[in-house]
Amino acid sequence: MKALGSSGWKGPVKFRMPTAENLVPIRLDIQSEGQRYKDAFTWNPSDPDNEVVVFAKRTVKDLKLPSAFITQIAQSIQSQLSDFRAFEGQDMYTGEKIIPIKLDLRVNHTLIKDQFLWDLNNFESDPEEFARTLCKDLGVEDPEVGPAVAFAIREQLYEIAIQSVASARESRLSKKGRRGSDHGSASKASGLSMDLVKLFSFKSSVVRKRKDLDVYEPVVDLLTSEEVDALEAREERHAR
Amino acid sequence: MEAIDSSAELELYTIPAQSSWFLWDDIHEIERREFEEFFSESSITRTPKVYKEYRDFIINKFREDTSRSLTFTSIRKFLVGDVNLLQKVFLFLDKWGLINFAPSLNDNDTLSSVDNAKIEQGTPAGIRVTATPNSLRPITAPPLVEQRTVSGIKLPPLTSYSDVFSDLKKPDDVLLCGHCAERCDSAFYQHNKSIVNLCEKCFKNGNYGGETNAAGDFKLVGDSAAAVWTEEETLLLLESVLKHGDDWELIAQSVSTKTRLDCISKLIELPFGEFLMGSTSGRLSSAVPTEDEDTEQVKTDGQEHEETEMREENEDEDGPPAKRKRVALISDSDSSLVKQVATMASKVGPSVATAAAKAAIAALCDEASCPKEIFDTGDYTDSTVDRADGDKDTDMEEQKEEKDGAQGLPVALRIKASVATALGAAAAQAKILADQEEREMEDLAATVIDQQLKKVQSKLKFLDQLELIMDAEEEVIEGGKETILQERISVLQCAFRSGVTKRWDHTYVK
Repeated sequence: MKALGSSGWKGPVKFRMPTAENLVPIRLDIQSEGQRYKDAFTWNPSDPDNEVVVFAKRTVKDLKLPSAFITQIAQSIQSQLSDFRAFEGQDMYTGEKIIPIKLDLRVNHTLIKDQFLWDLNNFESDPEEFARTLCKDLGVEDPEVGPAVAFAIREQLYEIAIQSVASARESRLSKKGRRGSDHGSASKASGLSMDLVKLFSFKSSVVRKRKDLDVYEPVVDLLTSEEVDALEAREERHAR
Repeated sequence: MEAIDSSAELELYTIPAQSSWFLWDDIHEIERREFEEFFSESSITRTPKVYKEYRDFIINKFREDTSRSLTFTSIRKFLVGDVNLLQKVFLFLDKWGLINFAPSLNDNDTLSSVDNAKIEQGTPAGIRVTATPNSLRPITAPPLVEQRTVSGIKLPPLTSYSDVFSDLKKPDDVLLCGHCAERCDSAFYQHNKSIVNLCEKCFKNGNYGGETNAAGDFKLVGDSAAAVWTEEETLLLLESVLKHGDDWELIAQSVSTKTRLDCISKLIELPFGEFLMGSTSGRLSSAVPTEDEDTEQVKTDGQEHEETEMREENEDEDGPPAKRKRVALISDSDSSLVKQVATMASKVGPSVATAAAKAAIAALCDEASCPKEIFDTGDYTDSTVDRADGDKDTDMEEQKEEKDGAQGLPVALRIKASVATALGAAAAQAKILADQEEREMEDLAATVIDQQLKKVQSKLKFLDQLELIMDAEEEVIEGGKETILQERISVLQCAFRSGVTKRWDHTYVK
């Protein structure tokens, strides 16, 4: 059921990650036998399912974890994948949706804080490419930072994509019988998008105002080992 | 952002030739094709205006400082919009060279390469460096220092120094002893039938490198032990030559390791060896300090200057400097600097040479601020040396004394001294010739004036004679006048006697 819309409002598309590659962010945090395994990576949902087990086994072997982890890891991955697939059949709202994505993560000794705009409608977007460019331009040497950044972006996109599914469902329900485009309301519903009309109008400039510059500037900090330890301790305390 | 005023467009920026389609005011077809999303009017965030703003901003940002490479991260904070799209625009501009296209951004090392120290051009043809042959110690040139000024007496880099002899002694000649596998530097013993070589030591020790070889199978080959002259030996040799002159036995004794003949041959080989043995005469204060090998290798930039001077000032070997003769150069390819200096100094005369040496040393000492006394060996003012070939011994004496005194001097200083003296001698020579020229000029001028005077005098005489003639003629004319007068009177008398009236004049008479 397609809602009527004026130009600028596309019909809903099937749910997928709004990136060039439809990769699912998977996060693992398993504790067992006094050992904790935390990980975050992207998974291609079109991979055959047996790959999950293979991956779990390999991970346990590489990290020398107790074999009880294998099943736990596999289970966790499977459940996240099935969640993802649950959304796949549904419609996703796609319209002009430029959202700010925030980065605030620590990878080993590197601390990254950043904010930028991302167009959910841009199915050619590539978080990995973005992360690569970011690390290259800022001279980040730790090779783990790039993938971590890409994952963080993907996670946020995933969240928003899920939300858009929900909102699309809502708007479909609420828009029954209503004509005219209302993409403004739909976008406002997410609460995250920006006032695009105002921003991209003829009168204003797409060059950001000076006062906003600091917010949108990436900040990379290199921490010392002590600081890392302190932060880790704090994180663990928060986790419990 | 501040608007770019049109003056910025007048600056020149480099973009690749294939990007010449780019216009500030317009969006080209290439761009439209690439960024269809901007031009399809399907979204409010992607309009041509937005695209143009992005593009212009990025390009201007780059042109603010073309020397640095613009990164996407550095500009994305300035622009509102999907970062992926921005990156697409950025990459597009980068690909087309509209940004980040400048030679300085290339990763060439050539730009940052350091220029090597400038090496000045080589010596004039006539001068060459000769290392003493067969010297055991590798001859190292003084460190190359870039020097641009030739003013004063500075030690210039020995740029064209070439150890010609090391080339000759190539590893072909490096012989390894067949037994102990060491180099046979000097003499070696060669087996008659095979190619086994033994160094001296092994031969003496009886290690003949094989059971079947006997002492008689070996013969002494190659350079004799005496051919290898270390620096010390050479120095010793020179000293003793100066001391003993022609007495080769004594010389051989003092240079203990070398035989008489060796000494002689070595001395001949040395650039100024013959000279020392007295082939040319005169005191050569400049030659003395250069007796050790280091100075033989000295080449100076001043040489070129010197060369030209020498070419100008060379004269016949015999007699005083001829006025306008430009004779063949003394500096043929065989002589070294020292020899030429020696010749020049000999031409100039002992006192002049002394004075030149003195002045040079004085200048040097002023410059180097070392006391003159170190150069003072006492015999500078001795001018008893005559130019004749004889009296070599006194030459040697003085030279030796001088040399002794100069022993303690650092080599550099001696080099400087010698060069300075050479230049001084050349200068003295030049001065002499200049004086001669002047005198000549004066002479000629005087002659010219003389001639003029003579001309004037003859003219005067002529005029005098004319005057006399004129006087004579005047008298004659006077006489004529008188005669006429007389005749007139007589005519009148006749007229009166015949009773002609007063009013009778010649108009009446027809």
